[in-house]
Amino acid sequence: MIFQRRDVYLWLLGGSAGSFNPIRRFIQQMPFQIHVAIVICMHRLRSLRMGMVEAMGETKGWVISEPDDKTIIQGGHIYIAPADYHLLVEPEGYFSLSVDEPVHFSRPSIDVLLEAVVAARWPRAGAALLSGANKDGAWGLYRMYQAGYFTAVQEPSDAEMPTMPQAALSLFEPHRRFTADRLVEVCLHALSL
Amino acid sequence: MFIDALPEIPDSELERFFQIMLTQYGIDFREYAPASLKRRLGTVLKRYGLASLNLLNQRLLSQPEYLDHFINEITVSTTELFRDPSAWVALRQQAFPLLAGLPQLRIWHVGVSTGEEVLSMAILLQESGLYAKAQLFATDIDRRALDQAQKAAYPLRLKGLYQQNLQAVFPGLSLAKYTREEEGKLIFHPSLLERVRFIHHNIVSESPFGEYELVLCRNLLIYFTPTLQDKVVTKLVDSLVPGGILMIGTKESLFWCSAAKRLVSLNEIERIYRKRL
Repeated sequence: MIFQRRDVYLWLLGGSAGSFNPIRRFIQQMPFQIHVAIVICMHRLRSLRMGMVEAMGETKGWVISEPDDKTIIQGGHIYIAPADYHLLVEPEGYFSLSVDEPVHFSRPSIDVLLEAVVAARWPRAGAALLSGANKDGAWGLYRMYQAGYFTAVQEPSDAEMPTMPQAALSLFEPHRRFTADRLVEVCLHALSL
Repeated sequence: MFIDALPEIPDSELERFFQIMLTQYGIDFREYAPASLKRRLGTVLKRYGLASLNLLNQRLLSQPEYLDHFINEITVSTTELFRDPSAWVALRQQAFPLLAGLPQLRIWHVGVSTGEEVLSMAILLQESGLYAKAQLFATDIDRRALDQAQKAAYPLRLKGLYQQNLQAVFPGLSLAKYTREEEGKLIFHPSLLERVRFIHHNIVSESPFGEYELVLCRNLLIYFTPTLQDKVVTKLVDSLVPGGILMIGTKESLFWCSAAKRLVSLNEIERIYRKRL
């Protein structure tokens, strides 16, 4: 089975405690881009299977969903990692889910998602790490940075929970540090590169 | 090495791994979804303190007795009693009425792992008055998990979660009705397994060995490529009697499966399907 979907730019957002409102605001404000897929990995309660898509509110034309296993990645879509599954990107252009052990007590794990993008050698991608109370995502973002992808980290002083951004900044200096109100601008900058 | 780093898996070493597993042991991993397989292999290497997949390959070649242990590590054993309770409620409310009038109820659990799923089914059948005419077949590729499943004993720390899941399916029902506690274990009553047969079976390479009124295959298809999903789901649907029920994981999809046209949806959210009559 051959997929021709790898031309989509993957904009990846990871966050935990304190990231819901900045991510929600970003989703509502981000102008529609037909060649971009936004992939969100947020730590959440495992028992809440429904409601996250609705909680994100209105977007500027994006199609928003929690992908099923083997969903083809498409531009113009926002994908939210489903509760209690890891979300991975496969080289052939679709998502895979897994119920492997939690990473940093988290499933979905941001590290798992970001490392999968690197392993898939996805042609164009960028990632931003936001507020959170553990260090999931720091290593994955560093791996993206090493692989040459655009990376951005929320200023710890701007984050409701600085642990996650600080964990990333202890490993490397990303291309951008940002405050939550500038996230759309950071994404548009990444897309222009 | 940073503590979170997993060993890299070069494609050449992965090819060698595929070759060893296939030629030495007859197990075909080539159609497993690559991203999750690589991550899983990396996790196993890290756990064993092995720096590369080649070292694992050597061990698999030189120590055949190591295979069961490795299969136990590489397969994912995440399961729980009444995992996704709403799916079990839907099964009871929407599928059981279609099966209740049949003279027999043969049920196949594919990839049963450590057995919580088959215990959930046994309780569901008991509480629905259907257990006496049921025969349950629980299969897995992982012999160690099957051994554990037959013991029906789980760490006591899971009691709270299992009680919570059970009550979401049967409000007011106490787990104590079906379990006892002994030496830090939560032990399920042996009567629940009276009508269960545990069988070592690899759904990827082996044919189904019977006909069933109900087949459960939950969170196994996610580890396969679309091509392999198509093959496996065809086997599952072939093994169902007309009007039989198939239940897959709540985030699994039959999008890639040609056999889906032989099914109608009973509950799309909970992924419960019925084979056309």
